[in-house]
Amino acid sequence: MRFSEKFRRKFIIMIQCLGYLLLGLFWTNPTTALRRSFTNGTWMRMGMIMDEMMQNDQGSPSCKALPGLSPGQARLCQLYLDHMNAVAMGAKQALNECKHQFQNRRWNCSLLDDVNVFGPVITIASRETAFAHALAAAGVVHSISRACRDGQLSSCGCSRMERPKDLRKEWVWGGCGDNLEYGYRFTQNFVDVREKERKFKRGTREQGRALMNLHNNEAGRRAVIKKSKVTCKCHGVSGSCSLITCWQQLANFREIGDYLRDKYDGATEVRVNRRGRLQLRDPQVTIPTAYDLVYLEDSPDYCERNDITGSLGTQGRPCNRTSPDIDGCNILCCGRGYNTIKSIVKERCQCKFKWCCEVECKTCVISLDTHTCK
Amino acid sequence: MPGTILENLSGRKLSVLVTILVLSQLACFLVGLISPSPASTQSILATVCVDDKPQDDKLNHWFDLGCSKKIHLEREESTIGLDANNLVFAMQMPLHGQDYSSWQQNLVGELQIDVIYKEGQKLSNPMIELLLDARIAYSDKTKDGGRTPWKYYTHSQTKRFMDCIFNETFVKDGYPYDCTMVPLFELGSLFHDYYLLNLRLPYDKKKEINTGLGRVSDIYLHTIHMNGGFTKVWVSLKTVFFPIILAIMIWFWNRVHSLSRKPALLEYMLISLGGTLAFLDLPIEYFTLYFDMPYMLFLSDIRQGVFYAMLLSFWLVFTGEHMLIQETGEKNSLRKYWKHLSSVAVGCVSLLIFDLCERGVHLVNPFYSIWVTPLGTNLALTFVICAGLSAGIYFAFLCYMIWRVFKNISIKRSVLPSMTQARRLHYEGIIYRFCFLMFATLICAAVTICSFLLSQYVQGEKKYDENMDLELTSVIHTGVYGMWNVYICALLMLYAPSHKRWPSEPICAEGEEVEFSRLSNDTSTPNEISSLTSFVAKANIE
Repeated sequence: MRFSEKFRRKFIIMIQCLGYLLLGLFWTNPTTALRRSFTNGTWMRMGMIMDEMMQNDQGSPSCKALPGLSPGQARLCQLYLDHMNAVAMGAKQALNECKHQFQNRRWNCSLLDDVNVFGPVITIASRETAFAHALAAAGVVHSISRACRDGQLSSCGCSRMERPKDLRKEWVWGGCGDNLEYGYRFTQNFVDVREKERKFKRGTREQGRALMNLHNNEAGRRAVIKKSKVTCKCHGVSGSCSLITCWQQLANFREIGDYLRDKYDGATEVRVNRRGRLQLRDPQVTIPTAYDLVYLEDSPDYCERNDITGSLGTQGRPCNRTSPDIDGCNILCCGRGYNTIKSIVKERCQCKFKWCCEVECKTCVISLDTHTCK
Repeated sequence: MPGTILENLSGRKLSVLVTILVLSQLACFLVGLISPSPASTQSILATVCVDDKPQDDKLNHWFDLGCSKKIHLEREESTIGLDANNLVFAMQMPLHGQDYSSWQQNLVGELQIDVIYKEGQKLSNPMIELLLDARIAYSDKTKDGGRTPWKYYTHSQTKRFMDCIFNETFVKDGYPYDCTMVPLFELGSLFHDYYLLNLRLPYDKKKEINTGLGRVSDIYLHTIHMNGGFTKVWVSLKTVFFPIILAIMIWFWNRVHSLSRKPALLEYMLISLGGTLAFLDLPIEYFTLYFDMPYMLFLSDIRQGVFYAMLLSFWLVFTGEHMLIQETGEKNSLRKYWKHLSSVAVGCVSLLIFDLCERGVHLVNPFYSIWVTPLGTNLALTFVICAGLSAGIYFAFLCYMIWRVFKNISIKRSVLPSMTQARRLHYEGIIYRFCFLMFATLICAAVTICSFLLSQYVQGEKKYDENMDLELTSVIHTGVYGMWNVYICALLMLYAPSHKRWPSEPICAEGEEVEFSRLSNDTSTPNEISSLTSFVAKANIE
């Protein structure tokens, strides 16, 4: 059994080597080929097939069926099979949040049905990529920590990644650790392993890209911790404060998304130096902390459709006529102008919520002007 | 011949004793190093189960994580056609396939209800009145690794208040309200392996039940339990201290009884102080391992209360007895201190009543809270304020008395230079040792206050970046507990009556021997136990 698995692993490595060899033989344009080998899909795609996964069976999925896992991630998947539903949930949550945060921007976090989820846009080391990575990492931390509290995972908090045999003893002695910390550690292993698997030459673009991803993943993970709230409870003699116990309260993911969007707006441009470290491109800017996002390249032009960069263009996007902001027609349509359609719609209004699950609304009829970019 | 060991012990012996006490104090701090923090929490996210037949309300029907129909509240489509009575929030304690052990002593449950803001659906009142239908069941491990079916433990319908704030300047769709935690229950014993909480939030428009509730996205239950490791360390400390304090008490009482006179008031106080400490040290926690004792929390409150009451009264009497003004011919008794002691009594009794109302009722209903009805709140506040006031009066009394003692001492000190050298040295030593003990009391009190403030700061400021393996909180707890034990042991030992006749100490001049014998004749009245007081009496005669 063990032998066959070892053999299989060797076999996989051989096949991979063969693949790289073939790839090397047919290199025409080195940069695009490198890009292709770099982005053999992303694990974030798990979030897109989440619903299919859930419908097929209620149990944990098999690791082979999961798309976009790197070899290291596949190994972790086998070790922590029960965590994969939570990872997929986290990815889905991140994708939804990304769409929400960018709904009024030129790049609207459009998801494509390809292995990269976001299309070729994600291969460019831009601000948007930085945000997407941070948000995905945050989504997994959030989702794993939540799943821990749901009783879905067998041993989180009680162990530091490994599962000791005398778990019961440890639990009786000192209780289980914090779930948020566990989520952070698991995500650190699961998401970062991609960037650590391959070694690049120091100072190359690929190495810089790996460093950038690592930095942004960390920023995303920290965002979850930063936004969590510490709550304490006194429970000493007669409820006095001689004994006080505190715990972390998970933030709503929308808050984390807003926080990371602010970080996106204030992201720092960096470059990779010859020693293989990230360096500020503009020395005048303040040095980014572990909570800040960094990027290497300028964003592509999202105004026009471009299949190479993966930009979909802003044509046909609804915009706000009166807003001077980024969602205003002036900026969103890149100066091309907009079409206006008048329509009369029925809308739910003056809603009142009734516990548990009813919303009592009135129906209002309003005339609506919708503007779309030319 | 009255006189305590404190005055008659040679400097060398005293230093040896003090070293031993300090070392045992250090040992108590070190013991805290090996133990984990006193309590841990576990956050449990409620699984929302659907109860198809809410009308036949059976108390033996339980919903756990394996319930057949689960829904997610944030997905609006999954809640269509359901009403509030269909929803059961199931929380299984503990998580992760663990089971509780009796070493974990007790369980506190806090509810966190996440209410989400939706555009145009603002809460009508930020103070939400909740009616919770909460039921607890328990289950045990069977020998073949399975679980026994859920069995009814307790249930109650209780009212709670939740204060929700929403930052108006920051209104955003999908943001949660900032709501306060809702204290739910307190179990005095963890005798069973698994517990299950089934929570319902019934809705009734006519009776205005839960009408103020907004869109609930999640309900978390935060459970706090003692750590088994800490209990083990704590109980071992008690097991060590109990026989020691008992032995010292027996020795002390033997010594008092071997005297020809009747025991003095201070000696009665000392022996009862030792008694309350022994009661506090009695390791009855061992019984919780074999018996279900839900009254343990209440009992430990009582034990601590009795000990503190005794300690506070002792300080009063101790200062009073060293007032250095002798009313001759009258035997000191507690009656003389009734004014001072009544502040202690009033404070302790009001705290006891408060405790009976909260923890006492918990024995019958773990969900009970005195704070939810206006009458209960007023009552509880009255008792707490009463206790606070009497504590204030007590400290005012104590400080005034201590100030008087020190004033008297300084007056007598000015007389000292006119005495012969041997006597002066002797009395100076006594005053010094008396002050030393006052100083020790002050240090003990200061250390206690500082360390509890520190432990609360440490708990509140936990950081993620630094991995702290050292548990400061438990070190502080064992250290302070050990400190008071050491303090009272020291009192019992140093204030035990001495057999030594202090005039037999080498005295150089002949004339002084006469003076000493005269002094000793004066001080043979049974109410004086310290030669410090006798010195003052002597000075008064002069």
